[in-house]
Amino acid sequence: MVPSKASLHLAALLAAIPLVPALAHTGTGLASGLESGFLHPLTGPDHLVAMVAVGLWGAQLGNPAIWVLPITFPLVMALGGLLGISGFELPLVEPVIALSGIALGLLVALQVRPPLWLAALIVGVFAIFHGYAHGRELPEAADPTSYAVGFVLATGLLHLAGILIGILIAWPSGAKVVRACGAAIGCVGVYFLLASVGVIE
Amino acid sequence: MKTATRRVTTFGLPAIMMIAGMPTAAQAHLVDTRLGDFYGGALHPLTDFEQILPWVALAALAAFQGPQRARWMIVVFPLALLAGGAASLALPNPPFAPILGISLVAITGLALAAAVRLPLPVLLAIAAVMGLLHGYQNGEAMVASTDQLLFLSGVTAIGYAVLTLVTGTAIAFLRGAGGWRPIALRAGGSWVAAVGIMVLGLQLVTPAAS
Repeated sequence: MVPSKASLHLAALLAAIPLVPALAHTGTGLASGLESGFLHPLTGPDHLVAMVAVGLWGAQLGNPAIWVLPITFPLVMALGGLLGISGFELPLVEPVIALSGIALGLLVALQVRPPLWLAALIVGVFAIFHGYAHGRELPEAADPTSYAVGFVLATGLLHLAGILIGILIAWPSGAKVVRACGAAIGCVGVYFLLASVGVIE
Repeated sequence: MKTATRRVTTFGLPAIMMIAGMPTAAQAHLVDTRLGDFYGGALHPLTDFEQILPWVALAALAAFQGPQRARWMIVVFPLALLAGGAASLALPNPPFAPILGISLVAITGLALAAAVRLPLPVLLAIAAVMGLLHGYQNGEAMVASTDQLLFLSGVTAIGYAVLTLVTGTAIAFLRGAGGWRPIALRAGGSWVAAVGIMVLGLQLVTPAAS
């Protein structure tokens, strides 16, 4: 299904919002506790839009994805966090996180409905990378438990925000808005992908 | 009754979360609350996520078991807290305490995320182990000038209050209309589990981090 002209206009408008390329920011100084953990997903727009997209897609897919997602995502993200904590060098973290915005944004914009296992696999792979980015900073935290609480809570609330926006699909015009949000998220992902590979300074 | 339950849901849980969330980096954190030793004991567990998170997860897990089973936990847990606090006066610090503490965060979170139906002895065993450990850890914070009876009474009272309030609220919440309610609690459990898994991993990789 091709997005409508109105959706594309809205997507272009949202994509035009200027962003500072705050990439999936592993290892940026000392993390202290709850506040820095909570702000970590919120101050990286690449994290932020991808997490909202997860919620949007879950809402679009409906049952059972909408409830499988918020229960399983944090657990898979924790496994990625463990990789980060262990010091394992996961390649291409920033590009993959940017790519997650593109992929999830496109999936929402095009209303793709794969089988549940495939949707879970796509989201799970991205969850590993997002968790890794957060987990890299956990050993540096003055209070690791508070830091972990902060970023898990922020991530969960971003999913919830996506799900709540996704409720709009109950109305035809709302469904278009949701798809436009997906397109905008894809555009943001492109921007950060270009930034992560050095095309944009 | 419904209004009272709604009030507890609306004000009680956010208040507990706010109190738990206010401090940053509260490590060995009791010197003097200036509120007296009873309130010092009552506030002490609320300043540690490694205690308040599994308390809330255990209470919500008990709610999934039904009111009849949950009632037993409300008795066992505070008594275990008191016993653990008393043990801290006489027994040396067990070396496995940090790992066990964070393991309980992961275990209770995972059990809640899975909404497992536990046999009553298992539920009570988890409550007893958690109560003993957290009672001991809170008791360790007492200094020479602390009134031990008042402090441990405060710890026990807050344990009873939190478990009772959260369990009651969760039971009432689950009785409401909408299939999303158990999912919301289970999602909360997965958040708790995620925190527990990562911090446990950190402690196993770098024990000094505890």
